[in-house]
Amino acid sequence: MGMFFRLIFRGVRDLFRHPWPQALTLAAVTLTAFLGGLFAMFLHNLEAELVRHQGKAQYQMFWKKDAPEALVAAQWADLRTRPELAELVAFTPDQALTVMQETLGAGADLSWLRGKSPLPYTALATFRIPPEDADWPRRTFEALKSLEGVATVHVNPLQMDLSRSVLELGRTLLWPTGVFLLLLVALVVGNTVKLSLLARADEVSILRLVGAKNWYIRLPFLVGGGTLGLVGAGLALALLKVLQQSLAEVLNVPPLWINIAYLPLPHAAALAGTMVLVAVAASWVAARDRG
Amino acid sequence: MVRVRNLSFRFGARYVLRNVSFSVGRGGFVFLTGPSGAGKTTLLRILHGALPMQGGQATVAGHELARMTKGRLPALRRDVGVVFQDFKILPRRTVRENVILPLEVRGVARPKAERRIKAVLHALKLDGLAECPCAQLAGGEQQRVAIARAVVTGPRVILADEPTGNLDWELSVRLLDVFRQFHLHGTSIIMATHNREILSAVPEAAVLRLSGGEVDPGGYDVAEAAGISGRDEA
Repeated sequence: MGMFFRLIFRGVRDLFRHPWPQALTLAAVTLTAFLGGLFAMFLHNLEAELVRHQGKAQYQMFWKKDAPEALVAAQWADLRTRPELAELVAFTPDQALTVMQETLGAGADLSWLRGKSPLPYTALATFRIPPEDADWPRRTFEALKSLEGVATVHVNPLQMDLSRSVLELGRTLLWPTGVFLLLLVALVVGNTVKLSLLARADEVSILRLVGAKNWYIRLPFLVGGGTLGLVGAGLALALLKVLQQSLAEVLNVPPLWINIAYLPLPHAAALAGTMVLVAVAASWVAARDRG
Repeated sequence: MVRVRNLSFRFGARYVLRNVSFSVGRGGFVFLTGPSGAGKTTLLRILHGALPMQGGQATVAGHELARMTKGRLPALRRDVGVVFQDFKILPRRTVRENVILPLEVRGVARPKAERRIKAVLHALKLDGLAECPCAQLAGGEQQRVAIARAVVTGPRVILADEPTGNLDWELSVRLLDVFRQFHLHGTSIIMATHNREILSAVPEAAVLRLSGGEVDPGGYDVAEAAGISGRDEA
């Protein structure tokens, strides 16, 4: 057992003997895992968004700049009484300015615009679509657009149809893309292990001459490959987290309201596990051929 | 311990060994000699499984070489210590790291391994160089490292290819003493050399003369030498 752990330790330590090739491999594995994770995160968020909007229609309303405050407040109150309304998020020009200020950060001081905000009244109204009335979204769109003081209304059913098409396309591409990325990881890690074996051919031949069994020679290489896979996947997940947080701050504001969620834990674990398995398998094939 | 019958080996059409037969019992000490190209190194390489058997039979420490598979090679090599003509040591590693390799492969516990290394390095006058990278050693010192690595496990058979080739006479005698200690404790030793002084330094050793595949009138390129050395037959 001591020998087993010693070989595992040696596998990790040997990564530092030729740090540059290993670092380049790690970068390639990280980039590939990042691309795979990004694709998975995109599909996950698209699917979540579609589920969230299942049976719902979302209308983004912008009032004219000169619309009276009392009129808009009355219209918001009227909207809130409608039985189909699921959610209404509304902003006065000053509230919209505050959100914009938060989005732009401390570097942009918009306080001088307080009380004379150039932004219009806005609202995001989400309605439950009556299942028996297919024409309901269109009629509601026309009704909202014709409200006094309303400048434009954007409606999402068309976007949802587009999103569904993209999701279907994404699901169709998921397997081929995933297999391609995994093959890429396998090739990169396998080639690095082969290079390591070539660089250490003398050591391997001496180990064989003093009676080392195959597993004794191969285990450190498998551990090295698995470590590259694990660290690469970990770095990729960390990069994805950074990207998700950056995008969430930028996109989850009016008028976009796009909520970007991180990969669910099972998906992240599956990504890391798959990377490790592929890296170990590639190392095993390389070590079997050369070791 | 080592039994060879009608062993032949050729590179292409050229025979290097033809119908070689001999046996070495437990604790036997045999010198392989002959001119360059006589097949000394080839015979040693066959005996530790680095070259395949082409004809004849050979048994080393109970391992039948004609039936040797890749999977069984490690077991053979754990019973046989080999000193190579070109040392085959890892130059970037220290003396201690080189010598400990066969003990690590066998899973020998670290304290026991350290004790063995200390004793062997002392016997070969290497104890002051234990932590020195082998690349910084002189040729003779590197050769002693290779010898230390071969004997540190206390193998049943030691195969040595010109182990005194880079050593002065004093160190050669000291090395032969080390080998004699092993052979007196039951290890069979087959040592290739063409140095006549070395041959005479171990009076109890038998000498097998190889002739590079040229067949003598008796049909063997070495004299039949069964039981020439050692206490019992393998």
